Amino acid sequence: MPEQNHSWFCVCLAALLTVAHLDAQALQTAQGPARQVIDKYCITCHNQRTKAGDLILETADLNAIPAHSEMWEKVVKKLRSGTMPPAGAPRPDAAGYSAAAAWIEARLDSAPPYAGRPVLHRLNRAEYANAIRDLLHLEVDIDTLLPPDDSAFGFDNVAEALGVSPALQERYLAAAAKIAALAVGDPAQAPITHTWRIPQDLSQDQHVEGLPLGTVGGTSVRHNFPLDGEYRIQAKLYRTNLNIMRGLESVHQVEFSVDGKRVYLAKIGGPEDLASLFKAPTDTGDAVDARLQAIVPISAGPHSVSVAFLQDSQFAEPGRLQAFLRSSVDNFDWAGHPHLQVLMVAGPFHASGVSQTPSRKNIFVCQPVNAAQEPACAQTIINTLMLRAYRQPPSSADVHRVMEFYASGRGSSSDHPSFDRGIQAALERILASPKFLFRAEADPAGVKPGSIYPVSDLELASRLSFFLWSSIPDDALLHLAIQGKLHDEATLEREVRRMLADPRSDALVENFAGQWLQLRNLRNFQPNTDLFPDFDDNLRQSFRRETELFFESILREDRSVLDLMTADYTFVNERLARHYGIPDIYGSWFRRVPVHDEARKGLLGQGSILALTSHAERTSPVLRGKWILQNLMGLDVPPPPPNVPPLPEEKDGDKPRTMREQMTEHRANPVCAACHRTLDPIGFALENFDAVGAWRSEDAGAPVDASGELADGTKVNGVTELRQALLRRPENFVTTVVEKLMIYGLGRGLDARDMPQVRAIVRNAARDNYRLSSLIQGVALSMPFRMSTAVSQTEVARR
Amino acid sequence: MFVSRKSLPRRAVLRGLGAAASLPLLDAMFPALTPLAKAAAAPSLRFGAVYFPNGAIMPQFTPKTFGSGFEFTPILQPFEPYRDNLVVVTNLTRSHPGSQVGDHAVSAAGFLTGIWPKRTEAEDVFANTTIDQIVAQQIGQQSPLPSLELATEDFSGYVGGCSPGFSCAYMNTISWSSPKTPLPMETNPRAVFERLFGEPGTAGEQRSRLVKRRSILDSLADDAKDLERELGPRDRARLGDYLDNVREIERRIQQSEARSVTEVATPEAPLGTPDTFDEHVALMFDLAAAAFQADVTRVFTFMMSRELSQRTYPQIGVTEQHHSVSHHQNNPQKIAQMVKINTYYAELYARFLAKLHATPDGDGSLLDHSLLVYGAGMADSNGHASDPLPVVMIGGGAGKGARHVEVPARTPIGNLWRNVAERFGANVEQFGDSTGKTNVLA
Repeated sequence: MPEQNHSWFCVCLAALLTVAHLDAQALQTAQGPARQVIDKYCITCHNQRTKAGDLILETADLNAIPAHSEMWEKVVKKLRSGTMPPAGAPRPDAAGYSAAAAWIEARLDSAPPYAGRPVLHRLNRAEYANAIRDLLHLEVDIDTLLPPDDSAFGFDNVAEALGVSPALQERYLAAAAKIAALAVGDPAQAPITHTWRIPQDLSQDQHVEGLPLGTVGGTSVRHNFPLDGEYRIQAKLYRTNLNIMRGLESVHQVEFSVDGKRVYLAKIGGPEDLASLFKAPTDTGDAVDARLQAIVPISAGPHSVSVAFLQDSQFAEPGRLQAFLRSSVDNFDWAGHPHLQVLMVAGPFHASGVSQTPSRKNIFVCQPVNAAQEPACAQTIINTLMLRAYRQPPSSADVHRVMEFYASGRGSSSDHPSFDRGIQAALERILASPKFLFRAEADPAGVKPGSIYPVSDLELASRLSFFLWSSIPDDALLHLAIQGKLHDEATLEREVRRMLADPRSDALVENFAGQWLQLRNLRNFQPNTDLFPDFDDNLRQSFRRETELFFESILREDRSVLDLMTADYTFVNERLARHYGIPDIYGSWFRRVPVHDEARKGLLGQGSILALTSHAERTSPVLRGKWILQNLMGLDVPPPPPNVPPLPEEKDGDKPRTMREQMTEHRANPVCAACHRTLDPIGFALENFDAVGAWRSEDAGAPVDASGELADGTKVNGVTELRQALLRRPENFVTTVVEKLMIYGLGRGLDARDMPQVRAIVRNAARDNYRLSSLIQGVALSMPFRMSTAVSQTEVARR
Repeated sequence: MFVSRKSLPRRAVLRGLGAAASLPLLDAMFPALTPLAKAAAAPSLRFGAVYFPNGAIMPQFTPKTFGSGFEFTPILQPFEPYRDNLVVVTNLTRSHPGSQVGDHAVSAAGFLTGIWPKRTEAEDVFANTTIDQIVAQQIGQQSPLPSLELATEDFSGYVGGCSPGFSCAYMNTISWSSPKTPLPMETNPRAVFERLFGEPGTAGEQRSRLVKRRSILDSLADDAKDLERELGPRDRARLGDYLDNVREIERRIQQSEARSVTEVATPEAPLGTPDTFDEHVALMFDLAAAAFQADVTRVFTFMMSRELSQRTYPQIGVTEQHHSVSHHQNNPQKIAQMVKINTYYAELYARFLAKLHATPDGDGSLLDHSLLVYGAGMADSNGHASDPLPVVMIGGGAGKGARHVEVPARTPIGNLWRNVAERFGANVEQFGDSTGKTNVLA
């Protein structure tokens, strides 16, 4: 065959040019299966003349693979995923693919070990909030205190993206002052109003999880009350855009409760309100809102406040006939329920002191009974706080600096000396410190630039706690580190197990899974209300909750990550069960259910993923394909080239084209085809799920065609076959999970030098059926996690 | 945080609660708000840059004729009342070196920088000091806040939703204080309010808070020095930024302390982020106007929404996502939707112009004493076109109004920024990829 002659010629040429002392035969043997596959299948395009994708394999030196690891890692990805050679071109068989990839990987893995080094790491918003929770036993509403953080490589805990600016620094100072006042209970805290807005598309004609049974709609919030005193709880009801309050046709009772106990009951609606509404809508709305407030004495500390409507049998059922039609979708629907729009808590007024709160209990580890005991007790309190906040024993200079603030906060005898104010000032100073806000790691003295060394036990403790808990280490972890025991492998393993079992590891669900699977983005998903009138915020929240609970079950039950794709169970409430067509599920709480429908098994059958990869009006096979390639298969999807030619316009009288037909035209353009041929068939296989993840067998009047040919030549039809194809080599999926865990755990992007470590973790976890815990253990025990590369002078140039 | 104000009696706080539901929240307080720098003889020129995402339908944006007699296009229609204060500039381009693929990241990051940002996802982000920051360097030190950066979209819901290969930083802000330093933009009105007018408390409480904060800042430098001793050069450089920031905040506090002899009645704090885009944008504009009026800052930037935004606008009949409409594929229906969105943004902006126009400032209005840029870093959105960019200069600072100026084809936008810098007394030889200086601000 001419093609083979050509490649043979090239090999000879390459051999003559690069390794002239070997003859071609010897070269073939020495370079094993990789050379054979490359010569036979790759260099038709990747030669010096064609240079497809700027890649020349023809002359590539297979004896110097580690020196060109970046290029070879890409080659391995293409081989492992079967995406090259492209469809239509001759390809090796499975064994050929595997042998070539394995041979190259073995060379890549022989590279000298690499640890890397994250840059100075600022706590991100979630880490800051968790640190405050663990340091002070105080849950703060972090979104009001700090701005969101930039992200890179898909995660917002990547050190390189966490910059500082004067505006941010000001927010840190203000946050430190507010938190210290709240935690200690500063009597001078001015009355302030906190507001919670209820999304307009939240249906409120059914029971809301977390609210008292026998109520519908409303909301419940957990709030920290700064002092003992009076607080005003106030609610406002939803009005249409013509300022007409909804739901006044008949009487409704609005219940306010604190910690589940009713504190106020208001009556709204009925003939009088309705008559008045017709005459003066704005005044009537204002008058009704004015009834919805109560002044309530509340003690300092966290309490839950809720406002909801008492369920009235007269109104219990209208929604059931047309299940889950959004109850607030139509501005002119006068048959609707009233809707809570805003809940406000203002205060404190007539503050009378500060009770024992969880945070005061946690801060005041001692209580001086007279002035003489104060300095020693202050020292104890401050030392304890600093050890935890700075994640290391504070130096005497550190303590001295903070004690100065204690002294000036406490005041002298001439005014009103206050021990509490002293502690508050000290706490404010601690929270403002860069030693709290930054995770600094220092090279040990005398270490050679570029060399690899184990990080200190204290640094390791912080790495662990921020990885597994998105928070500061607890005392047990700190003490192991202080005793110098943490670096011991068995101890480290035990600690990882202990920390994973701790509820604080929920942070992995919220922050790792929330970003890896992009669940956080669901918040921005707003499907077209005309096309999807049933979609409401209840469903949006349920989508996210399902996948979070699902991921959590894999973590807590120590399951294989492959179960993420294949598990025969999931979590639903009534709202979601109806959406999926699962019968006999009632109530707003989530519960575990078996999944019998093959199509719904695993992540690919979950509404969250299917919705966040859709447009407002339709599904997007491209977005779905891209999401799967990037997040499950670990393949890069390049951006579309500029100035993509438009699809040919539809002329009058033309038959409307289906999405698939339009996409086919798109792929006829060779510029587009290169990527879309890989992306689209994956998305097509999911076409039985509409833009909100509901099952459909028809689209626009035609039966759904969910068939296609994947880039590796596998023909699939529908989600089940797609899932099987994606898992044919489970290592591909597992490798992706490990890469994401590494980025998240190390707080830095990965490059080719990290891949040998990733493969080692995958190999080790294979023996354990790829349990999520063993992947996490693998990351925590890996060299990059426990070691650091000493900073060399050349790194200065990067700034 | 730094402007002292009269103590608010409990009654006022309670009254404020009742008023809080009627939006825009800040309207009520405007008559009461008096400029801090009452004594200033001549009002100073302010600068603002307002950005809209995902490009524009240029034939419906650009007036058909040049010179003074042009007719307003559908998208620019909302600006017609300010005709005499307005200059439309046509033919500017963002930087587009060689065959580089342009997209949303380089649009946001290329607008006020006049440069092609470095393609990277790592810490080595590199763009250019933006024109607002050049102006802030020039006039910012005269007010407590050198500049104010505002936005509406909380981007933490867009993880993985940035341009491939480009750090999210390029899309999360349009303002850079140095080529390496993106300035985060604030989306929470309450936080903006507290930066401008202080946290709740009496004048005495606010003053003692300032004193305490200054002493904390002094003391933080010692902590930073400890860290500096231990860290490598790369980390030290990062900490250097931190110390610069600490010094900048100290300066602001000093300024505020010096000013706090003037007690000024300030507005009630807004209660949080409104749930509609309309209200949110209005509130951010109100805060910018209040900041100008009280002379808390003289420079602001506002990204009305973010590039790649998935927002839908059912209130104007656009139920498809902004970004997906913007790739209109020359489909007339989608183009019409895109024009609707572009016009809607102009309407929201025109409300701000009305406010500035109605606010007296020295011998004229705030609008008379402002130079405002309104535009985008993307022209036609279908193919991410880099020119001709939609740009309108508004306010007394733009010079003679009622003009539609045609600059030579593909004039780098840096040429305009050189012109702006000059207007504020800064001599910039080279702005990004500038090839000269426009004379638009005649």
